[in-house]
Amino acid sequence: MSLFWSVIRQLAETEAMATSKKVITRDEWEKKLNDVKIRKEDMNKLVMNFLVTEGYVDAAEKFRTESGTEPDIDLATITDRMAVKKAVQSGNVEDAIEKVNDLNPEILDTNPQLFFHLQQQRLIELIRNGKIEEALEFAQEELAPRGEENQSFLEELERTVALLAFEDVKNSPVGDLLDISQRLKTASEVNAAILTSQSHEKDPKLPSLLRMLLWAQNQLDEKAAYPRITDLFTATLEDPFV
Amino acid sequence: MPGSASSTHRPEGLIERLRSAAADGGEAKLKVLRELKNQIIGNRTKKLSYIKLGAVPSVVSILSSASSSADCLLVQCAASIGSFACGVDAGVKAVLDTGAFPHLINLLSHPNEKVVDAGARALKMIYQSKVAPKYDFFEEKNMEFLISLLDRNNENVTGLGASIITHSCETNDEQKILGDAGVLKKLIDLLGGTTSQRDASLESFATIIKENPEVISKFVGPENGRTWGTLIELTKDRYPRTRLLACVCLILIKNAAPSNLQSVGIRTKLILVLLELLDDPGQVGDEAVLTLSSFIADDEGLQKLAFEANTIDKLCDHMQKELLQAKRLQGIFMTLANLCSNLECCRSIILQSPKALNVVTAALTHASADVRVAACVCLKNISRSVKYLSAGHFMTEAVIMPLIQLLFDTSTSVQVAALCTISNLVVDFTMHKSLFVQSGGVKQLVQLSKSMDSTVRLNAVWALRNLMFLVDSRCKEGIFMELRALTLTSLVCDPSASVQEQALALVCNLVNGPVDSIEYVFTEDGLLLNAVGRQLWSASKHEVLIQGMYVLCNVASGQEFHKEAVMQQLLPQASSEDTQSIMVTMLQSDVAQLRTAAVWTIVNLTIPTGAGALARVVKLRNAGIVSQLKNMVNDPCLDVKLRVRTALGQSMTFGDFST
Repeated sequence: MSLFWSVIRQLAETEAMATSKKVITRDEWEKKLNDVKIRKEDMNKLVMNFLVTEGYVDAAEKFRTESGTEPDIDLATITDRMAVKKAVQSGNVEDAIEKVNDLNPEILDTNPQLFFHLQQQRLIELIRNGKIEEALEFAQEELAPRGEENQSFLEELERTVALLAFEDVKNSPVGDLLDISQRLKTASEVNAAILTSQSHEKDPKLPSLLRMLLWAQNQLDEKAAYPRITDLFTATLEDPFV
Repeated sequence: MPGSASSTHRPEGLIERLRSAAADGGEAKLKVLRELKNQIIGNRTKKLSYIKLGAVPSVVSILSSASSSADCLLVQCAASIGSFACGVDAGVKAVLDTGAFPHLINLLSHPNEKVVDAGARALKMIYQSKVAPKYDFFEEKNMEFLISLLDRNNENVTGLGASIITHSCETNDEQKILGDAGVLKKLIDLLGGTTSQRDASLESFATIIKENPEVISKFVGPENGRTWGTLIELTKDRYPRTRLLACVCLILIKNAAPSNLQSVGIRTKLILVLLELLDDPGQVGDEAVLTLSSFIADDEGLQKLAFEANTIDKLCDHMQKELLQAKRLQGIFMTLANLCSNLECCRSIILQSPKALNVVTAALTHASADVRVAACVCLKNISRSVKYLSAGHFMTEAVIMPLIQLLFDTSTSVQVAALCTISNLVVDFTMHKSLFVQSGGVKQLVQLSKSMDSTVRLNAVWALRNLMFLVDSRCKEGIFMELRALTLTSLVCDPSASVQEQALALVCNLVNGPVDSIEYVFTEDGLLLNAVGRQLWSASKHEVLIQGMYVLCNVASGQEFHKEAVMQQLLPQASSEDTQSIMVTMLQSDVAQLRTAAVWTIVNLTIPTGAGALARVVKLRNAGIVSQLKNMVNDPCLDVKLRVRTALGQSMTFGDFST
């Protein structure tokens, strides 16, 4: 047989393997999963990490006493962090700034972008409350100098001040700034900065583990039929679809 | 509008209340301090205006008179002082001038950790400024105190220790004493701590090992497995700043001894990590690209690795993004410049992407002088591509006009960078030089050749020299009309030898080519030719002598009258019989290039077809030049050897009078 034909045959075989997927039954799968060992402490740490990062301070406290898992952070700081987050979410930006500064003055002093976004949020709240004159004065005195320091701040500032130019702000091109999502965005930026200043990751680990699970399943789908988890909430294994 | 929040916060009002609180004491102090702190944090403008109004002395006086049990008050004082010192040199100065320093140091031994934190943060801010006083490591007590800071179980205090080192350690002796005191080891231990501890430690670690091979070989490097492994590991850290600092440390170790970082794998890895850090929009990204630029500078091997890691594509994509800050652009252009300094493959990628080239040329008019300089250097190195240069890729209005504008720049470094780029661009394409001449470039080059700054003068003459290279007669006349014999003469006699060299090379290019070009040095009674002759008799630098000799060599290639004028310069009648001709001195020079130039001149003078050739040969012989030539028939330099034989052959055609 010539080399040419042998190559063609090999190619055909590979092709065939690719199209007919391997099937793994539920029994086989569960047996394989049973062989994977996970330590209880690791689970507890994951849960604690989730509670701490998301700011469930009471739950974390309770979980500590019940499971004996030590958080990697002083739980009191969670309360402070949550208070800051809540202040921004409810539009009390000035209050939030004071709280952050009490927590650690370095955060806003060394993070111009976050500082600008908080000041911008303050301006948005003034405009929302119809304090037009005050808003203009604030924009000019507090925000304009930041715009001079940084071109992208200037553009954001211009967009924010544009809120004053529209009769029907909600339906204007800059209406999104008044949306509640803008507050949430700012709040989560402050939250992340506080966590970082405490050497804590800004995102909990659990969601990324689940993301990895879904990704791995998608990869595996191309090669095999197996009992996959589609519903993360129940985490039930579904029978392979052959 | 009386209720307006910002008007009650007017600095003048707050200052008034602060002063009276400082004087009267009581509850008011805490409230007004907190208000002040919240006004200035993050706000540079406010800091400056409060400093101007004298807020700092009031705060420091509250601090100095506060009881050690007034924890909250101490914290607010220290926090305000720290913020005044954060990022504002005027604030640091004000804080130091009012004597806050010893009070802050006292706070470090306070029983309440919150007070310690605030004090340490404020001191750290002070040490992050370049106006802070230098810490004397040679004072034993100081070193003990520093070590005690690094040993404390508080990240702000250890961070303060690290900042003191980063700020004050400059000399090799300081690096050594810190290494010997075990500081490096402590810093390495701190790498296992919190993010801020790790970054502060890496930074001062870098300060201690920077350009100090002795310290590196003693304490770090691959043979110190643990440190080495930790640093490599940290290049994969979750935090961008940590990754950057780990790269910086490894690069410093490599720079101290190239044998320290030979693994191509690690080298490539560092390039990739730095490239990835480009995505950080802030300071880390800016510093990463500058670090990359210095990493690959002067090392063609690393440039190749960077090229293979698709650095050019990544940078070109990145620089087309809008709104890049000045520092970022500067770093990108410097990295591209370094990549293009040797490798043609890098140049052609940029040249084949019109957009990328547009970004570079557009940056020639950037508001920041640093960016303008970097864009010039980048353009210069890209234009090292002979292929594209000869194809006239750069002699377009889009490139030339902004470059000419930069010759008028208020910053000298920009002018010099633009001159260097122009020098390179005008060198090799007869076809396209007229655009530069017509655009008024020559006029400004001539102006700059009269600059008081010798670097500007040098580079202006250099550019003119290159512009004059193989230029057509019409352009040449235009340039000469602009320059005039008088200016050129004074450049030939410039106090700086480098300017003399370039000016002579310029004259050399001027008289090169058609015979009537030679006439230029004879205008105004041979002013220029006499100046060249004078330099040949007086200059000591061989670079100057070589260029001067080539001027005479080119003139001697002309008509009889020209040759006679050269003879006049070489063997002036006024000189007495026993003065050795400069020609002999040059033929005896150790520098082969100078010997070559001298012999070439003799060849031109002795071409037998000339009417006066015989007379010249006789004169040369009488001056001992022919016998000197005979000594050189086996010159070690092949070029010299060949010309000597030609010269001797030509003089022999008139018979050998030596016997």
